[in-house]
Amino acid sequence: MWMRVWTRAVIAPAARRAVAVWEGVAIVAAVVFGGNGMRPRDLTDLALRVPAVGAGLAAMWLLLMLPAARGLVRGDAAGYLRALPGPTWTPRLAAAGALVALQLPWLVLWLAGAGARGLIAIAGETVVLAAVARIRPRPPRARRVAWRSAARGLAGVYARALRRCAGDALVRGLGIAVLAGLGAGLFVRNNALAPTEAPAIGAAVIAVVLAPGVAGLAVALLEAHRASAWLAASLGVTEPARRAVLAIALAAVYALGAAIACAASALLVAPATLLYLAPCAIGAAAGSSLFTARALVRAEHELRTGAARTVIGVVAAAAACVLGLGLLGATGVLAIGAAGVLAFATAATGPA
Amino acid sequence: MILVVERLTVKRGARVVIDDLALDVAAGELVGIVGKNGCGKSTLLMAVAGVLAPSDGRIVVTGSSVWGGDGERRRARKDVGYVPELADPPGFLLAAELWALCAAARDAPAATPELIERLGLDELRELAIERMSLGQRRRACLGAALLGPPQLLVLDEPDNGLDARRLDALEALLRAHAHAGRAALVATHDAALLDRLGARIVSLG
Repeated sequence: MWMRVWTRAVIAPAARRAVAVWEGVAIVAAVVFGGNGMRPRDLTDLALRVPAVGAGLAAMWLLLMLPAARGLVRGDAAGYLRALPGPTWTPRLAAAGALVALQLPWLVLWLAGAGARGLIAIAGETVVLAAVARIRPRPPRARRVAWRSAARGLAGVYARALRRCAGDALVRGLGIAVLAGLGAGLFVRNNALAPTEAPAIGAAVIAVVLAPGVAGLAVALLEAHRASAWLAASLGVTEPARRAVLAIALAAVYALGAAIACAASALLVAPATLLYLAPCAIGAAAGSSLFTARALVRAEHELRTGAARTVIGVVAAAAACVLGLGLLGATGVLAIGAAGVLAFATAATGPA
Repeated sequence: MILVVERLTVKRGARVVIDDLALDVAAGELVGIVGKNGCGKSTLLMAVAGVLAPSDGRIVVTGSSVWGGDGERRRARKDVGYVPELADPPGFLLAAELWALCAAARDAPAATPELIERLGLDELRELAIERMSLGQRRRACLGAALLGPPQLLVLDEPDNGLDARRLDALEALLRAHAHAGRAALVATHDAALLDRLGARIVSLG
């Protein structure tokens, strides 16, 4: 019975997080390895031959798996069970086994690509992952803080939630934003798009690639939104004001992500193209963020499906960008903004 | 009257937890809310604090309706300091940030030296809420609730988790609050605490 409860408390949440990673990786793998693309061996050989590629691949996997690994290694969710008589080694072995098993895509890549040699990469990555997952962040330090109104204070609360609770997601988001910019830059350059054509297509590419980077941050904002609900209500922050602060925080995340992507795309596109691309990408990102904000508002009281609803909102935001920019070109930014405002304004919350 | 509750009905889901309740709290009065588990003590306090909307009735604090128009709501909430049963503000906030947020919302000055001394707030200032014990969290929330100070304190089991020294301090703060012509609504299972405070008892359920 003890192990069954422990498994539900520790393994099950970690598995849920890992499965979300698998889904994302499956999409990327389908693109990279599908059709006439690379073979697993090509990638593992490249990683073994070029240390920078190997380190980059390992670092990316580490960041993706860290949230699931933390739950397994720390076992905080089962703290209460430690007070009850139970096995000592069985949960440790089960956690270690789960830590390896939950890295299924990594196992498949290295076993298919490097055979027995791949076991070394798997073992090494698992040891590093366990060690990094064990590290607890240092407690934040207080600076003198004074807010001029409760709404500004609430915005400060959301900013702190991102900084203190979503460190991994911030790093992942930064990496994905750079990737989005490079992808957009390559697309614009390789298709020799004119400066006037590039913004809509480049911005759409950025919106799609940026989506997984934004999802983790949006979940952190949702959790902060829930956690601060009673406090905001008791301090007189009205529900519309509370939602507006959430939407602004989310728009800032999207706009910053798009700005980083544009900065990265500057490596590949001409300055004249960037001049059109940047306002288009940032405007589309900020406007489409309202679709995600709508999903967060609706997910506030849905404890079980909140994360899934957030992902749906992020996908809807990316789809709105593709649709708006695809149909209307750069002027689609205005349509995306208008549709976003409409979607957000009509978001109905669940029961309190 | 500092608090007037009329015909209050509050539902949690489909269950009617509070049905047609009336309650007045005068200036200088401490009122203890007692009753068995699940009788609606926390629900009543949440409705008064503006956290849980009632399905019917009116709650008025210093002349402003807690659930009225935007302006009234804001005025009413400025006059209320609330500590929930779990004392669970966002865990990633530092205590100093929690106090800054409450001070900003109520246009209140920083905590007085007396409040800091009595509740031992200085040692909590740089601690994140999630790293605090229940008693420390309660003290941090009491510090936030008392900033101003507001006309009405709404405290849900405020003694829960406090050590003997801080419990004495809480009693002293509540007495001083009432002597200054303000009021408090306190839900607790500790009849002795209410007795020592000389609180009027309102039994629910």
